[in-house]
Amino acid sequence: MDLWSQLLLGFATAATPINLVWCFVGCAVGTAVGVLPGIGPAVAVAMLLPITTKVDATASMIFFAGIYYGAMYGGSTTSILLNTPGETGSMITAMEGNKMAKSGRAGAALATAAVGSFVAGTIATVLVTLFAPLLANFAVKLGPPEYFMLMVLAFTTVSAVLGRSTLRGMVALFVGLAVGLIGMDQISGQARFTAGVPELLDGIEIVLVAVGLFAVAEALYAVLYEGGPLQTQHTLSRVHMSKLDWRRSWPAWLRGTAIGFPFGTIPAGGSEIPTFLSYATEKKVAKDKSEFGTSGAIEGVAGPEAANNAATTATLIPLLTLGIPTSNTAAILLGAFQNYGIQPGPQLFTTSADLVWALIASLYIGNVMLLILNLPMVGLWVKLLKIPKPYLYAGILIFATVGVYGMRQSAFDLVLLYVIGLIGVVMRRYDFPTAPVVVGMILGPLAEAQMRNALSMGEGSWLVFVERPMSATLLAVVMAVLVLPRVMRRFSASSSTAKRRKAS
Amino acid sequence: MIRRGGAPGPQTLIGIGLLAVAGVIIAGAVGFPSSSGYSGVGPNFLPWVVGCALLVCGLLVVWQARTGGYRHMEEPSGSDHGYWPGFGWMSAGLLANAALITTIGFILSCSLCFALAVRGLRHADRHGGVVPLRGELAQTVRDVLIGMAIAAPVYWMFTKLLAINLPGLTNTGWI
Repeated sequence: MDLWSQLLLGFATAATPINLVWCFVGCAVGTAVGVLPGIGPAVAVAMLLPITTKVDATASMIFFAGIYYGAMYGGSTTSILLNTPGETGSMITAMEGNKMAKSGRAGAALATAAVGSFVAGTIATVLVTLFAPLLANFAVKLGPPEYFMLMVLAFTTVSAVLGRSTLRGMVALFVGLAVGLIGMDQISGQARFTAGVPELLDGIEIVLVAVGLFAVAEALYAVLYEGGPLQTQHTLSRVHMSKLDWRRSWPAWLRGTAIGFPFGTIPAGGSEIPTFLSYATEKKVAKDKSEFGTSGAIEGVAGPEAANNAATTATLIPLLTLGIPTSNTAAILLGAFQNYGIQPGPQLFTTSADLVWALIASLYIGNVMLLILNLPMVGLWVKLLKIPKPYLYAGILIFATVGVYGMRQSAFDLVLLYVIGLIGVVMRRYDFPTAPVVVGMILGPLAEAQMRNALSMGEGSWLVFVERPMSATLLAVVMAVLVLPRVMRRFSASSSTAKRRKAS
Repeated sequence: MIRRGGAPGPQTLIGIGLLAVAGVIIAGAVGFPSSSGYSGVGPNFLPWVVGCALLVCGLLVVWQARTGGYRHMEEPSGSDHGYWPGFGWMSAGLLANAALITTIGFILSCSLCFALAVRGLRHADRHGGVVPLRGELAQTVRDVLIGMAIAAPVYWMFTKLLAINLPGLTNTGWI
């Protein structure tokens, strides 16, 4: 069956009334989660994972994708009006959008963010439609050695490249891998680190770790260190873009999409880099640079917002075709698939074609819903910011309880949740990244299985990883990712000292 | 110079904690079979790798902590010192929730957790003595009711709409 008829079938599934309701609720929850500080899409999806035990796979994946998407739209609202970015991806929006809001152009900033998100999201979805099946066809040819190397690449980028300190990134990664070790070994069935507790044979629930690290830790951190009234909020002007705003925005949207999309597809994790790159590009190509960082340039909001959304959408490509998550939320979506006994990967497009295409179709529908939810109804969401901080964080704890208790009905998990929350506070206070923990925990067992399968292919020889061209190439990429940034840093440091010497 | 959140004491403790975890993992790895069939490595291989890596990481963390503190640290947000009374209230809420959820049910247990956490957060906000708290009892009763107003619909949505088990005070699925 060709691509378009499959996509049409996907639309037929996604547009059934019940799935439309799931999509809408997902988008609305996602927008709310994006607007509210202290809670992001990863933790929202994690808290709602218990529904995977009752709701069918297609509906819940549509729902979760709606949350993932919606949070990107909602996040920009808070960044612009409050200057508190909910996620790293909206840091730039917080910078430039808040400047616009200060000079009374909040409405235009919100509009260009919402329309830009829609344009980028839709273009990226078209690209996912076109390229995901192609990549899946190619990925079928990959064997265990290549998969193992891809996962090593994901580990390396998420822990060593992103973040400020390689050491702290590595600590987080290996802690995640250690958590992933708990439970039954996938290949031999050997129980590891279960301390005789039967519940631990299935391993530690991803909900527990994600909700503990993100939600409970956030609440505990707030009460410990962030007492005091919230920042002042900028008033909302009419959400409207002038003709000039449109003319300035659309090239920035397209450039942002072009920058963001590739970053989402590679296992380089996060939308931090593409949004920064997009901002730098907009600043470079702008004729009038005086607005950037002063009164706020609309391109500086339009570009990064588009880049953020394109990157977010593009993370679905490695997730669906390779089973490799490149962001926190994608990692938890992978956990959701696993709850259904579905392992994302190249076979997904043949074994669960209905689900995949319905999911992709729902992205088109969700983008339209989100545009409507976020443009005319933005005033409604802004009201959420009036919730007093104590009620917000304490309310998050109620939802955390639902998510964790609903998954396994164990009160002991609630104690563990508190302990993980404490660890999260320490990590936040001492600047340890959290994404490597989640990625390590979810990908660790998969990577171990692929490694051991690869070694049995090579009859126990480690050379199997360098004898196959694809695997050797990936190994070289991993090495380059580890070594190049260091060399470049050293090089630029020595050249700048040389310059300084020359100058003095 | 001691930076915010950069006191060498806690930083060293984190490193020691990592070393302890590494020790547990390596001790476990020693006990796992190395039988591997065709693959050359058995179920003890990854535990060894993770254990040794954490050992090295732990040593490096301790070394960094003892030689001027962690490198390239982002200043943590918020105040320099933790507000522990507020932390105590929220911790009490979370642990009470864990202890009571199976006996008094989801709604009541979560409302209690909510009220205790709100109390901690509110104290944290007024920390510095701007406004004295008046009518604490009335306020707490109101917080419990607000907690119930959030917990009850969530509970009904899960038990009635999604048929997911959450503990109740009764077996009706309503409370």
